[in-house]
Amino acid sequence: MIHIFDGAMGTMLQAGGLKPGACPELMNLKHPDVVKGIHRAYIDAGSTIIETNTFGASSLKLAHYGLQDRMAEINAAAVKIAREAADGRAKVAGSIGPTGRFVFPLGDLDFEEAYQCFFDQARALAEAGANYLLFETCIDIQEMRAAVLAAKDAAPDIPIICQLSYSEDGRTVTGTDPRSAAIILEALGADIIGVNCSLGPEQLVPIVRTLAQNCSVPVSVQPNAGMPHLDENGETVFPMDAASFGSWAPKLLEAGATWLGGCCGTTPEHIRAMAEALKGCSEPARQPRQPKLWLASRSKSVCVDRSLPTVLIGERINPTGRKKLAAEIRDGSLLSVKKEAVNQVKAGAALLDVNMGVGGIDQAAAMKKAVSEIAQLTDAPLVIDTSDAKALEAGLRAYPGRALINSVSAEDARIAEFLPLARKYGAAILCLPITEDGVPKTAEARLDAVRFIIQSAKKQGLRDGDFLLDALVMTVSADVHACQEVLRTLQLYRRELGYPSTMGLSNISFGLPNRPLINSTFFAMSLACGLDAPIMNPYDESMQRALKASAALLGHDPNGLAFSKDEANLSVPKKAAVAKTSDLDPLSAIKQAVIEGEKDEIVGLVEKALREGFDSNEITEKALTAAMTDIGEDFGSGRMFLPQVLLSAETMRAAFNRLKELIPASAKADKGTVVIATVKGDVHDLGKNITGALLANSGFRLIDLGKDVDAAEIVKAAMENKADIVGLCALMTTTMVQIDKVIEQLKEAGCPAKVMVGGAAVTQDYADHAGADAYASDGVKAVKLAKDMLGIR
Amino acid sequence: MPVYNAPLLQVDPKETRRYAGLMKAEGFDEEKIENACQDARLLASPRGIWQIYDYNCDRQEVCADPPFIIQGKKIGAHLAGCDKVILLSATVGEEIEETVTRLFAEGEYTASVLLDAAATTAVEQIADDMEKVIRPKAAAQGYGMRWRFSPGYGDWPIDQQPELIRLAKAGEIGVSLSSSMMLIPRKSITAIIGLYKEGTRKEQAVHAKGCAACSKLDCPSRVIRP
Repeated sequence: MIHIFDGAMGTMLQAGGLKPGACPELMNLKHPDVVKGIHRAYIDAGSTIIETNTFGASSLKLAHYGLQDRMAEINAAAVKIAREAADGRAKVAGSIGPTGRFVFPLGDLDFEEAYQCFFDQARALAEAGANYLLFETCIDIQEMRAAVLAAKDAAPDIPIICQLSYSEDGRTVTGTDPRSAAIILEALGADIIGVNCSLGPEQLVPIVRTLAQNCSVPVSVQPNAGMPHLDENGETVFPMDAASFGSWAPKLLEAGATWLGGCCGTTPEHIRAMAEALKGCSEPARQPRQPKLWLASRSKSVCVDRSLPTVLIGERINPTGRKKLAAEIRDGSLLSVKKEAVNQVKAGAALLDVNMGVGGIDQAAAMKKAVSEIAQLTDAPLVIDTSDAKALEAGLRAYPGRALINSVSAEDARIAEFLPLARKYGAAILCLPITEDGVPKTAEARLDAVRFIIQSAKKQGLRDGDFLLDALVMTVSADVHACQEVLRTLQLYRRELGYPSTMGLSNISFGLPNRPLINSTFFAMSLACGLDAPIMNPYDESMQRALKASAALLGHDPNGLAFSKDEANLSVPKKAAVAKTSDLDPLSAIKQAVIEGEKDEIVGLVEKALREGFDSNEITEKALTAAMTDIGEDFGSGRMFLPQVLLSAETMRAAFNRLKELIPASAKADKGTVVIATVKGDVHDLGKNITGALLANSGFRLIDLGKDVDAAEIVKAAMENKADIVGLCALMTTTMVQIDKVIEQLKEAGCPAKVMVGGAAVTQDYADHAGADAYASDGVKAVKLAKDMLGIR
Repeated sequence: MPVYNAPLLQVDPKETRRYAGLMKAEGFDEEKIENACQDARLLASPRGIWQIYDYNCDRQEVCADPPFIIQGKKIGAHLAGCDKVILLSATVGEEIEETVTRLFAEGEYTASVLLDAAATTAVEQIADDMEKVIRPKAAAQGYGMRWRFSPGYGDWPIDQQPELIRLAKAGEIGVSLSSSMMLIPRKSITAIIGLYKEGTRKEQAVHAKGCAACSKLDCPSRVIRP
């Protein structure tokens, strides 16, 4: 059946007397006749479902007008007006717009506060008799999740319509694509999934199509009448006329939407045109959706299926047996957890297992924090790995996506506690064949255990796309049949149930030598027997290689193209420069290594030169200093750039440090003393630090006073250290004047040091004006100027 | 909806190369840049906030209480024709900057400089993402957005920073100023965006944008247009 929504409310209210800046929803109390007239106009035009005038009638939105205490009253009045207007001719959808704030950590609105706000409004609308609850114009999937959870709690029997707004790039402004939205919202229990506002009908056709292809519930669409502009009077104008708008309706229907209406800029005429255009059209035949296992983050969805390449589940966010990680988590730091998240994705993990199982901490709080922070950092969907129901719920609630639960066993407690949470939050479950009696020994017994879990889950409302089956790996050194049974289990799962499979692999080799060989061999066997999503360490090279080879063998990598490419890359030596230095004489090799910034090579080269009889002076002058001179020239002429110079400086530093260790008398800083500082009031010090590092590595004695340094302190240090040069750095026009002050005080104190200045805002003119002896535009120039001023070569 | 902390799903290595002054460098180890971008993601705490005000372009006045008169001809011209403005602030937080300093002190000069460049990329991305969120809201009301302009661009004196901090409510995301008008944390942004009525007057093309508007011709990060 095709349903016709109404069109815009706000512009109609303005035409009916709503003053600019006034609360549109207050019209429900002050001018119910105007609101009712609008509803009637839309029903007369052909609407079969009308929206209450409550888009901004949440307590958070009404607070802008000081009306939050009248929330229930305003919503109840709106439903009453709509029902009277409909008079049985149309259904009434209670409209609920966004809160106007982003949910934490995207914004400053707490999830529970958003939930409460939606709960209150949903209940008010439901109690007054709305037929549907319509969440619309939402741009944040996490806010929509709060809304759906709230509506299910507040009004469990009323169908929920979820409409997000997408931008021209086909995503919500917070990054959610329509496929991920469809996956997340259908699993969460939305009854109708759709899109409204921000774009015209033409741009919404592909979004509607994607939604329809990725869910099995009806799809709704309410486009704007094109993109708006303001006219001379400052009025917002939507350019698309009713006829053009209506002409898009059959295309939206064909793309899969059966609930159609209008948003900003549409009028009863637009709706009439739409209804006319749809007359005689039949409902599009939706492809019956294959129930596949899909998981989604805010901005990416991942499918686990036998027809697709193997999906790696990264296992590294797990403190079990990792003291350092456990200690960090206990201290509340998530830096290593975040590192593991990013690195595993880089190494090829498509899903990330998150386990916060550290003793003596609040598991729920830790899981919530980890899940929200990881979700801000990576788009790989998450697997919530815990045996604690509270931690599970905290993680599922905080996650702006559809997660996988690791795991649900056939034990009574898990079935009772975890399955309702999976249903409530729309999560998939990893089914673990462990019963009250322990781990079943045979494949058949594991199949039975998993069957029991699936039956129980289906009773709770879970469906075919919600299951990932664990074959359960035992140790082969303890049970000679362990490997055989796992492989048979995988085959049985695939043959008897057809759901995708998973397992943690490394247990198999416990107690055996050369575990990597056993593990990777076992991995290859498992893949051949139907393993779809291994839980593993994605950094493990032997496993990665087994996976790539298996992909080529099993047809996931047609003709072994990716495999061949990988092999070709591996055979290329890492750095051409390594070969280069070995052909040169020791001093040239050192010089070359410094220029190339080969920090790892340099110490070996210095030692080699010493062994071959070169003294430290020769090494310093003919190799290191000579390299720096070349670098300076290359930098000056634009052949080399600052980070490369710094790499050379690091290399040089490593060389000096090694020389100093071997021959303490060498590498003395005898070129002169430089006192440097960033001036008072200025906290930028990277440029000054770079200059300091280059000076120090060029044989100057460096006294670095740091940043934000008072003039008096600079003068004192210059006098005490008998500075040859004072280097001053200022980055901004507001701090530059401090340079003048320091120079003045140096003169007053009778300090003989030359003064060199630099920094982003400083110029040669300014330096001259302030009475400085030199202006250095960069650190390399500073070294050259310092040498010139002191008459060194 | 003034607070938006954009996720950093990536930090653009190309922009990081540019800020590190490596645009023309050949053969620089890409992995070093990627590592810096990744570290920036791990260390950043992205925060962003904005507020919208009416604007009187004849008086260059942001209609706040108390009002704020913007000084500078270039910014005045840039906002000509706008009747609303957005004041925004964004930051990546302190931790990244502490790491830049620590790395340098430990002799990891290159990593330090690259992380500093990645932090700049990150804070610009956060502000870009905020604009992405604001744009459709402005468009829904018929407004187009001018590109964002900060004190220190052109002749807009940076001693007007305290007003931007006040009007953007930057304090709420932990951004403040030193006595010499420096943003704390250092990798932060304050900016103004003009909103003009779409259809009545198009964005003025007379004023150069971004690098082209800057007088520092020898800047190693300057974008060269063909």
